Amino acid sequence: MSQSLTDEEIVRRTLADKDAFAEIIARYEAKLGRYLERLGVALPEDREDILQNAFIKAYRNLNSFDPSLPFSSWMYRIAHNEAMSFFRARRARPQVVLNEEGEALITELKDESADAAAHAELRLSREGLGRALATLDPRYRDALILRFFEDRSYAEMSDILEVPIGTVSTLIHRAKRALKSAMPEAFTP
Amino acid sequence: MTTQESSNPSPRAAFPGGRPRTGLAARILERIEGDRLKPRPRWEFVFKNYVFWTLGAIAVALGAFAFAAAVFEVQNAGWNLAAATHPDFLTFFLAVAPFLWVIALALFVVLGYANIRRTRRGYRYPLAVIALGAVLTSVALGSGLYAAGLGGEIEESLGTHLPFYRPILAEEHEWWLAPQKGLLGGTVLSLASSTRMFVLKDFSGRVWNVDTSDLRGNDLIVLSRGGTVRIVGVPTTATSSVFHACFVFPWKVVGLMHEEAPTPPLFVPASSTETATLPPRSEQCKGIAPYTRLRALDGDGF
Repeated sequence: MSQSLTDEEIVRRTLADKDAFAEIIARYEAKLGRYLERLGVALPEDREDILQNAFIKAYRNLNSFDPSLPFSSWMYRIAHNEAMSFFRARRARPQVVLNEEGEALITELKDESADAAAHAELRLSREGLGRALATLDPRYRDALILRFFEDRSYAEMSDILEVPIGTVSTLIHRAKRALKSAMPEAFTP
Repeated sequence: MTTQESSNPSPRAAFPGGRPRTGLAARILERIEGDRLKPRPRWEFVFKNYVFWTLGAIAVALGAFAFAAAVFEVQNAGWNLAAATHPDFLTFFLAVAPFLWVIALALFVVLGYANIRRTRRGYRYPLAVIALGAVLTSVALGSGLYAAGLGGEIEESLGTHLPFYRPILAEEHEWWLAPQKGLLGGTVLSLASSTRMFVLKDFSGRVWNVDTSDLRGNDLIVLSRGGTVRIVGVPTTATSSVFHACFVFPWKVVGLMHEEAPTPPLFVPASSTETATLPPRSEQCKGIAPYTRLRALDGDGF
């Protein structure tokens, strides 16, 4: 029964009965876990700690949720902020490991480089892409991950990263440029 | 009841028809119970949102105050007599440009932006939109305050309390209390037409006899109205009590809430045909530094 409820309805229920929050956790645990991994939180135990903190924070701040924006954006925002705090606290560099994902970004970069690369074959690999992503400015990396790995719209990214939509567009544009610079061998004809 | 619940009753359903407590959900809910955590009340967030909006609005309002004060300072800086009061335009500009108020306006706009940005949906507005909106609001409100005559009140009352700032009128009074440089400002007390002298009380309260022999058309009209005037004349010693006037200009402060009441005319100035017969000013007056500029300002052709 609970599966048919919207996130917003479950939020309302949780305010009356905390047990309803289990449904939110069940819905977002895997998604956010993958997102954290893509952000570069490599160890599963670290991801679980971050997830736990993110869900507790979400629960404590349920009344601040603005129903005019998607609940998933709000949840991603909290997870994103927790991950950033984690990196800051550990002074750790993200370890971006891409599995079978990243195709969307690779395709995008290939399409954009079609003219410049002429007939040369782009030597893009997931490993190379992961390494290059890890070297990017965190703001650029976050933008690319949300757009091409999490498939988020500009409006959702604006809500997650808490920046205007215009800034999202600028971030993606600059991030792609920075990524190409980080992988010169892949884009040299 | 879900199928999962009926087949395995041990992990109890989180809520009727809901998920059972397992894995991460169970650990989180146990922590919530163990630490007796509760969602923070809605009013806290509403209040916080209002606080940021209010702080943003206050910052913009203070920016408006700064703008009104800046306009007052610029309007009353005495630009037309800069050549008489300062050696060059740069010195004058540095003395009268409303740096303090412009910096204050910028600071309040930044504060306004920072606070509005922290409201619930503040992040959605681009920096340019918030900053421009804050500046335009401050300018519009500030213009209203200035038009209502509050610019002078703000500039004077805040300026008096700031240790590193002097209100523009106090600054100007000092410039026009320099008889040794040929600059004198004050209130016309009386006129003795027979002796071609008038009595003036300067801004420090000292009384001067001012020689009017070199005054022409417009100077006499200004003088006839009485009130506060500024006189450019022949430099004299600080101990002398007579000041030889070459030009007289009105001292009109604009942008005050309570404008100075007009004083009754001290005398009826001679008609233009009569003044046309007056000889040109003496060589003493022609020797003062910005003579040509002052003569053009005076507009009397002498």
